[in-house]
Amino acid sequence: MFKNMFKPLFKSKKFIIGLSIVLFFILLGIFGPMIYRVDPTEMTWDMEQAPSSTHPLGTDTYGRDILAQLLYGIRSSLYVGFLAALISLVIGTIVGTFSAVRRGITDDLLMSFTNIVLTTPSILIAILIASYLDVRSIEMIAVILGLFQWPWFARAIRAQLMSVLSREYVYLSKMAGYGDFRLIVEDLIPTIATYAFMSFVLFINGGIMGEASLSLIGLGPTEGISLGTILQWSVMMDAIRRGLWWWFVPPGIAIVAVTASLLIISTAMDEVFNPKLREE
Amino acid sequence: MSRLVVKNLSKVFSIGFLARRNVEAVKNISFEVKEKEIISLVGESGSGKSTTAKMLLRLIHPTSGKIVFEGKDIWNDIKTNQELKEFRRNLHAVFQDPFASFNPFYPVERTMWQAFRLMDKEYSKNEALELIKDSLVKVGLDPKDILGKYPHQISGGQKQRIMIARCWLLKPKFIIADEPTSMIDASSRGGIIKLLLKLREEQGTSIMFITHDLGLAYYVSDRILVMKEGRIVEDGNPDDVVLNPQHEYTKILVGSIPKLYRKLEDI
Amino acid sequence: MSESLVKIENIRAYYKLKNREVKAVDNVSFEIMENEIIGVVGESGCGKSTLSNVLLNNIIKPLTIVGGRVLFKSNGEYVEISSLTREEVRERFWGKEMSLIPQSAMNALMPTIKLSKYVEHLAQSHGIPKNELLKKARKRFEDVDLDPQWLNRYPFELSGGMRQRAVIAIATLLNPQLLIADEPTSALDVVNQKVFLKILLEMKRQGIVKSIIFVTHDIATIRQIADRMLVMYAGKIMEISPVDKIVEKPLNPYTEGLLNSVLTPEPEIKKRGITTIPGTPPNLIEPPSGCRFHPRCPKAMSVCKEKEPKLVEIEPQRKVACFLYSEERA
Repeated sequence: MFKNMFKPLFKSKKFIIGLSIVLFFILLGIFGPMIYRVDPTEMTWDMEQAPSSTHPLGTDTYGRDILAQLLYGIRSSLYVGFLAALISLVIGTIVGTFSAVRRGITDDLLMSFTNIVLTTPSILIAILIASYLDVRSIEMIAVILGLFQWPWFARAIRAQLMSVLSREYVYLSKMAGYGDFRLIVEDLIPTIATYAFMSFVLFINGGIMGEASLSLIGLGPTEGISLGTILQWSVMMDAIRRGLWWWFVPPGIAIVAVTASLLIISTAMDEVFNPKLREE
Repeated sequence: MSRLVVKNLSKVFSIGFLARRNVEAVKNISFEVKEKEIISLVGESGSGKSTTAKMLLRLIHPTSGKIVFEGKDIWNDIKTNQELKEFRRNLHAVFQDPFASFNPFYPVERTMWQAFRLMDKEYSKNEALELIKDSLVKVGLDPKDILGKYPHQISGGQKQRIMIARCWLLKPKFIIADEPTSMIDASSRGGIIKLLLKLREEQGTSIMFITHDLGLAYYVSDRILVMKEGRIVEDGNPDDVVLNPQHEYTKILVGSIPKLYRKLEDI
Repeated sequence: MSESLVKIENIRAYYKLKNREVKAVDNVSFEIMENEIIGVVGESGCGKSTLSNVLLNNIIKPLTIVGGRVLFKSNGEYVEISSLTREEVRERFWGKEMSLIPQSAMNALMPTIKLSKYVEHLAQSHGIPKNELLKKARKRFEDVDLDPQWLNRYPFELSGGMRQRAVIAIATLLNPQLLIADEPTSALDVVNQKVFLKILLEMKRQGIVKSIIFVTHDIATIRQIADRMLVMYAGKIMEISPVDKIVEKPLNPYTEGLLNSVLTPEPEIKKRGITTIPGTPPNLIEPPSGCRFHPRCPKAMSVCKEKEPKLVEIEPQRKVACFLYSEERA
């Protein structure tokens, strides 16, 4: 069943291109550090060197290898993205499903809460929380980001479920003696699966961008390296004015390439799953 | 003996959070349906006819009143799973929109496989498949054209026939047909109606049509109930209701429907 | 005998898609006379809505006119509107010579634009003083039993029936000769349907509009208001005759099938019973050879598969495309 659902995706050029780029970066993040075995935190006397055979992407002010940093950065940025997306997806699904299925007071309360979170400028709250924490691990950043990007998803899931629940095939399944659990697994989940998958991609995107924004203003993870922290260091050391392009260009390209291709993937999915947008 | 007895049935929906508002969808209706009888509940959208259908199908809980099917109060006397299964098998439905009656993620025969969950006897997969094929043939479909197809690959008329094939499998004693012909083309409408009538002839099924189409109700029913704003305003045999309506609303309704063999005088 | 207001000659209108054509209207000819109401019936997808777009010259790609022409009588002369561009026809004809009432008024009216804006817009595009036309609109609203105050409201504030009445009032403000009504009643309940039909007939009686072409799938409605009925199937005209005669004795087997599937609350229907036309309408990308109805026709002969029947007059005023009534059948 899911095979049939996702098959048409692979006919979309956009989807293939987007997916290839993302997969490339995922592989880079996973295997890069294993193949290019240079410690990204090790300081050497080769300071602010342009790319050379010893340092393929040059070094920063402390003589740390940029390529090694980049590979670790891609890894942790994707990690933040996935983790934040997972958190948002779980919260959004639970809130949305409960609202739709329970209705009544539960729905009213959950939706009021959702609306409050939705209208609160999330990046401000994230900044507030991050600035209170002296030590911020990568996971912590992911949790902070994940806690604030779910509301629109919860609302969308609720709306979709509400409409599905009044559809006749749901009645017919109920009349065939389906219990709640079976109904959810067979009829409800497939209907929201494509949408959830699409949102998941957007959430990853939000996670990566969010991490980069927090890092740029100095509120990123205090431990470990991410694409955001590389950019932050380069900005701090005035790399742009001083023309140390090898320091800030590669992480910039990586962020743009990953987030852009994630957006392409989600647009492609939208076109495939939403017949109204199909080009025919 | 009456197969279905509905007594003082009401449904009130309450909506809104802080300022709750009550909407009375069905107001204190009572009627009975006999064995093999075809009865039509006629009304416009918002008249409460669909809400009534859902209560009879045990899909939504009535606010007050009783629904007794085959001697059992469907909300109070059905306690075990076995009893519920029997009820679901015996009182079944065909819905209005053949497009919404099928989950787009599954092949269309899923709806027929579901029927086996309600049966007492266990069937092997092959036996079940044979039964499915038989019932498809009964409703005038070629199993080859249907099995393995997804809902978007077959026509509305075919979908509605599959729904009736599901009823052939279950052999219910009572079918609620909620606007079964309103979304399909006129030329295939007759076929659907005939299939339902055949079911009654061969199985003694009672059928309740839920419709806004007085023409359909007049043609198929033994009795017509006209609903307006949650109340039954007229109850009688089709000829009386159509040719000699009593209630003001029925008079207006009958007088507004364009006819084929006579011209409306006042337009 | 009145003259014809519109002449449609061998019109072929196809939807041109990437690698196929949908032959929605295929070689159709007929005339709309002055002072008549003509009803167009057919099942969904038979090309009846495309036909109304052709009449309006509302040709938006992928719809393309492949052949034939449409002549419209304007100031005593026939203008070939099918050779003009959509913009030219819109400027010169829409509103003034012909008007459309669509199926759902919501399609025609933006819910957030005041009704009076439409009137002002109409005045502007035809160079009429705004106040004059607004005054006329108020009067026309009264005629269709709407409070003129509603002109200052937004469409979403009106009920379905009122909205459809507002549309007809605005559409006929400039007294167009031809009113094209495309399933105007199918979104309304029967009580509002009747009100709407009454208004339509009253407009014609008063001479506000000259002729009406009423497109619908509901034969009983056509029976109530139309003089002639045109039956379409798979992009072709199957039969065109006075309504009374068709109801009395349909000639084309398809017309017969359609009539016999009508369910109205009448004793005759119960006596007659209801029949079904077997099969489903063909797709119009590769329509069947010969007569397009032959695969479903209970009276099909061998010639029906090979040749296409012409639309011929077999009795005064009655035209039918069927080999049962032509000499070619041998």
